[in-house]
Amino acid sequence: MNKLILAAVLTLLHITPVVVLIKREDAVKTILPTATAFTAREIHLSGPDAHRLHEALDWGPDDGRLTFYTGRSGTAAVGSLTFVRVDTPHGPLEVAVGFDAEGAVARVEVTKATVETKAWVLEAVRSGVLDGYAGLKGGTGADLQAVARTSLLPGGAERYRGKVGQMAAYMLEQIDKGVQRALVSYGWFYRTNAS
Amino acid sequence: MPYDLARLDRRVKWLVTCLLGTFGLAYLFGGWMVALYAGFTPARVARTYAEPTLTAAPETTMVMEHAMPMSAFDAADTAEVHLVDTKLLVQDTHVHVPMYGVIAALLSVVILGLGLSPGWGFGLITLLFSAPWLDFAGMWLTKFASPRFAVLTVAGGFAMGLGYTIVALLAMRRMWLLPAPERTNQ
Repeated sequence: MNKLILAAVLTLLHITPVVVLIKREDAVKTILPTATAFTAREIHLSGPDAHRLHEALDWGPDDGRLTFYTGRSGTAAVGSLTFVRVDTPHGPLEVAVGFDAEGAVARVEVTKATVETKAWVLEAVRSGVLDGYAGLKGGTGADLQAVARTSLLPGGAERYRGKVGQMAAYMLEQIDKGVQRALVSYGWFYRTNAS
Repeated sequence: MPYDLARLDRRVKWLVTCLLGTFGLAYLFGGWMVALYAGFTPARVARTYAEPTLTAAPETTMVMEHAMPMSAFDAADTAEVHLVDTKLLVQDTHVHVPMYGVIAALLSVVILGLGLSPGWGFGLITLLFSAPWLDFAGMWLTKFASPRFAVLTVAGGFAMGLGYTIVALLAMRRMWLLPAPERTNQ
């Protein structure tokens, strides 16, 4: 009976609510602490480019638009960041991926989870995996194709499986997916359309 | 009448009371969450379930830049509508419709013991089962036919609440409030 009641309660919660783990403004300040001004670069993908991205990552932005935020200190660009949504059967999570001025990953933060995934995501983050992305560089062309096909997790997802629970390990893979998407999008579309 | 709630063992009556109380608690929180993430008006429900209008992809990739004040990061974020996309709606429908059926069935079993006329019995059972149908039909039609169908989802939600309230009140009256002689006469 208890299980039935619990199932009934869960049933009524049929919208999967998003939980903000880090406000976007705080994530921006953490990832690009020296930036004093920002510009948003909206990249509206053509059909062939959207197809290329989809072929590589099995993903594309919902509205066909990638948005990067470039941080500046004075006139010098100090880095950029983007927010990537990763859909899972347990609801979406959002990953903020920051790049330094040389194009390497500076810092990664998970900014959103859901009521259901929050505990797993926090466990995944506590494993220290986010620090492992710092310094990753996508390169261009063929390198990015390789990035799109392999796990970015240092040592691979397997390395973390022993450290965290099964669902947290699954969340690690989703975070990895978010970083991959950011890295490939950055290399293919942000760098090549740099102003 | 298949059975009479009034004549049941007090422990069974208590079980039914606890079940209805728990459903009531769940409905309250369900309503609260709908208020937070979807809303009670057809317009807000439509914003949650309708597919965003897709603009045609440009012939070549285009870049636009604009200044982004720090305050705009969160302003843009909090303004984001909670969007239930098709994949999530498939998942919601798959997981929740069967459980809505189970809840409607349990409440219908309670209805059978209320001593109602067949007409009222049919009507209430139909109300309980049609509510989730309306709810999810509204969501799907809003997504793929017209945002106007959001009214079905709102109607379904209120029908669910109405059905539960009627059953709970009648059951409480039948089990605990009616004087003993009247119970035996019904």
